[in-house]
Amino acid sequence: MTTGSVEESQLTMLEPQPTSTRMLDWVSTLDHKRIGIMYILTAVFYLAVGGFEALLMRIQLAFPNNTFLSPEMFNQLFTMHGTTMVFLVGMPVLTGFANYFVPLMIGARDVAFPRLNSFGFWMFFFGAALLHFSFLTGSAPNAGWFSYVPLSSKAYSSLQGVDYWIIGLLIMGIGSVSGAINIFATIINLRAPGMSLQRVPLFVWMMLMQAILIILALPALNSALAMLLIDRWLGSAFFDPTRGGSAVLWQHYFWIFGHPEVYILILPGFGMISEVIPVFSRKPIYGYTFIAASSVAIVLLGYGVWAHHMFAVGLGMYADIFFAVGSLLIAIPTGIKVFNWTATLWGGEIKFNTSLHFAIAFLLQFVIGGLTGIMFAAVPIDWQLTDTYFVVAHFHYVLIGGLVFALFSAAYYWFPKMTGRMLNERIGILQFWLWVLGFNMTFMVQHFLGMMGMPRRVYTYADNPGWALLNGIATLGAVFMAVGTLVFLWNIFKSLHSGKIAGDNPWDAFTLEWATTSPPPPENFPVIPEVKSRRPVWDINHPEYADWKKEKTPEDKGRRGNLAKIAAWSFIASEAVFFLLLLVAYVVFNTKLMAPVGEASSPETLSDVTSSVLDVKRTGIFSLFLITSSLTFWVAERFLKAGKKSAFVFSLGLTILLGIIFLGGQVWEYTGLLSNGISINSDLFSATFFTVTGFHGIHVTAGVIALFVMLLMGLKGNLSSEKTHVFGAVGVYWHFVDVVWIAVFGIIYLGLLQ
Amino acid sequence: MSSYFDLTSSLWKWDSPIWLLVLTLTGMYFLLQRSTSGKRGAAFSVAMLALTLAYISPIGVLSDGYLFSAHVVQHLLLLLIIPLFLLLSLSESAMESLFSRPFMNRLGSVMAVPFLGWLSGLGVMWFWHIPSFCNASTVNYSLGIFRDATFLLAGLAFWWPVFSPVKRYHLNPSVAVAYLFSACLACTLLGIYITFTVISVCPAFASPVDRIGILNLLYDQGLNPATDQRLGGLLMWVPPCSLYVTAIMVVLKRWYADIETVPTSQTTANPGSLREAHQ
Repeated sequence: MTTGSVEESQLTMLEPQPTSTRMLDWVSTLDHKRIGIMYILTAVFYLAVGGFEALLMRIQLAFPNNTFLSPEMFNQLFTMHGTTMVFLVGMPVLTGFANYFVPLMIGARDVAFPRLNSFGFWMFFFGAALLHFSFLTGSAPNAGWFSYVPLSSKAYSSLQGVDYWIIGLLIMGIGSVSGAINIFATIINLRAPGMSLQRVPLFVWMMLMQAILIILALPALNSALAMLLIDRWLGSAFFDPTRGGSAVLWQHYFWIFGHPEVYILILPGFGMISEVIPVFSRKPIYGYTFIAASSVAIVLLGYGVWAHHMFAVGLGMYADIFFAVGSLLIAIPTGIKVFNWTATLWGGEIKFNTSLHFAIAFLLQFVIGGLTGIMFAAVPIDWQLTDTYFVVAHFHYVLIGGLVFALFSAAYYWFPKMTGRMLNERIGILQFWLWVLGFNMTFMVQHFLGMMGMPRRVYTYADNPGWALLNGIATLGAVFMAVGTLVFLWNIFKSLHSGKIAGDNPWDAFTLEWATTSPPPPENFPVIPEVKSRRPVWDINHPEYADWKKEKTPEDKGRRGNLAKIAAWSFIASEAVFFLLLLVAYVVFNTKLMAPVGEASSPETLSDVTSSVLDVKRTGIFSLFLITSSLTFWVAERFLKAGKKSAFVFSLGLTILLGIIFLGGQVWEYTGLLSNGISINSDLFSATFFTVTGFHGIHVTAGVIALFVMLLMGLKGNLSSEKTHVFGAVGVYWHFVDVVWIAVFGIIYLGLLQ
Repeated sequence: MSSYFDLTSSLWKWDSPIWLLVLTLTGMYFLLQRSTSGKRGAAFSVAMLALTLAYISPIGVLSDGYLFSAHVVQHLLLLLIIPLFLLLSLSESAMESLFSRPFMNRLGSVMAVPFLGWLSGLGVMWFWHIPSFCNASTVNYSLGIFRDATFLLAGLAFWWPVFSPVKRYHLNPSVAVAYLFSACLACTLLGIYITFTVISVCPAFASPVDRIGILNLLYDQGLNPATDQRLGGLLMWVPPCSLYVTAIMVVLKRWYADIETVPTSQTTANPGSLREAHQ
């Protein structure tokens, strides 16, 4: 499979020749910097869209009993505002910054997979367009950004809005995962000589953590979306309690994705702050190791605390206690970082410019958002305040007070590198105060409104004492933020034309992106500087105070790994989570119908009837074909390495044949079931069965196609023995598909775990 | 609650045969490790204390057919805590000389294969919670002893690639992180399964034989079999994962402090990197 990886020397060939139309240059570009800018610009566009939606809501809420918006419109607006801000602004703007700066900061000439990078961007672009296209159908998604069932099921949302939401998110999810795999492989593989992983800038480290989070968390959302889509389109009942499904399962799956998503958004913010604060304090970051290692802890713990979004569901006292403790634990690595940043500022030679203004505001506001987060970890407080404006205030303090302020800080810090011109400082300070005032006016008062019991997501409110005043303040604050954004855009526009020329390193900053021109040339670096510490550019500019003379950091041992294999492994890690959750759904729905503990087994339920139709022996035989294909693949790989072409082609052909026989068996089985009237909407067994085996079948088919491509390449002689790693990467996928089948066979056909 | 304290005597099993094992191990430890540091001695004491408590305290008594959750606590002590502290109590030099012998070296290397350690550590966890095995090992005394022995040994095998006293058996940090993280994932799955499943994972605990007459008391405290199993599942899930995350932090700390190798690698790595840098 052509993975799109390029050698550095090939790069100039890869980028298409400039054409007469600049537009086409941009659309067809593979340059990570241009793709990064396209991500950022698209995100800024949707920031305007999402911000406009927020303004409309704030106008509606400015007065009690207002009728500016209808309830239906209000539902669509808060749903689209949340979805837009999370998926169309937060994630892509971070991917954009990562795209632009990660290769520069690690001294690489491009990302690992430029074509995959471009693919990821366009998936995001069209997914976002599709999501917003729903407005034209007259029914935008209106079930909230987490689309809880049963509200989002066909019975309660019969129009297409939720379908657009599902499809849009699935498409963007594919884009996000491919982008994350790209960033992950870039950081692991393309670091400049001397840059050990223990020396990468903290922004790069945070993007590595974010990539891992995306790779392992998004498939949870995808599996939930797939099931919801099957419920809506094919009439199954995964999430329909009236037919034995489970509405709570949606919440579990959504938040298994949704909580890591919070860290997907905030960890890069931490990374940006960790770049800005040291540079403008003229000091190295205090406690690099702690910041880096604690983010690993955040990543790991982040997967284990999802149910704190579900305290009000009634999971039982013990579950609540454990998740509360977990949520409190995760506050430790997060909270101590604030001290790291403060200690970096302490005693520093502070350059209090706009970028640092935003960074300091980040610190203060993030602490407020963090503290209300700790409040929510306490179950009784959560019960009292959940679904009120207190929650709205909490997460906006984290995501605006934290992330957006970090983004503005980073924008002022990196704009000179991206454009070659400085942003205007005076306009910047004006924007800063508009935002600080506006933000705190809007969201601080929502804490009080929440405590007074104002529910979120309700289109209007009665004229209770104080509510009108507080809501008025909040709306006024939103206007301030909107004006602040316009000021920012004006600053960009003005600076692009007449801003001060930046030069290579206007801040006397420390990391490798400042070692090249502003903006950098297409190949990034004429000469990659020597890396001997965590601040290579500081070392070069101030050799007498060079870091490596004072403090030793672990040397680069030169290990980089194979690009194709890294991509294949991270891809199957993502796929494994997807299948895992589908299998969990199978187990959940098919143990439930067994006899309850301590009672005699009840008469056969419907599920027993349908599960008895499976022909275990026949499928067992077909499974053997699939497992044998793993062996023949392994043999083919040996032959390829040994350079025996005809033997290679034979064993690869055999592998494909075995895969096709397995698929034939599956078709046979499906036809039998369908002709007996058992289809995906019969009951929960059939729904889970068809979903799991169907998705597996799709994967086998994709694997067969990939093997076919390999076979053609082998026949044409394009697959030399030096290219075995490409073949090996396909092998990782093929073996994975077999391993999944073994699990599927064990759980569904042999009934393990039931 | 007062009746609870009346029963404390029956909740402790002072005549447990575990003393024999504890005394033997203590004797062996002092025989082999004469010049031990305070830290290692402390680790050994923790291991022995945990081993004793796992059997003579209410954990041991209740896990003997009363409470699934107590069984999980005992299981975690045996599988995770005791082996970990045993490994930490061994001195590097004594073990270095022990594992320099060819046979021992081969054993040490085999135990350092991550796949085996992972499979034994997580394998026993899953295997002994298949309902029929879980039940049989609770009902049958000698099978129970066998199960506990496999817990201890599997625990040693599991921690060996990460906390072996001999450094050359340690996994490469990135592999160690993946090792521990995937272990967390596997015990999370088991924990989730036990917490949320409606079947009885260990039927012996669903209808206990009330040997010492505390069953009503337990039920009064809200520990009916369903709640008990849910608690057990959560214990199987959250504490081990917290321990694995802590271990990951230790691995990362080692990784960031990996500066000792500078003199050896600098001579070879630097000229190459310089040359490449100036290409």
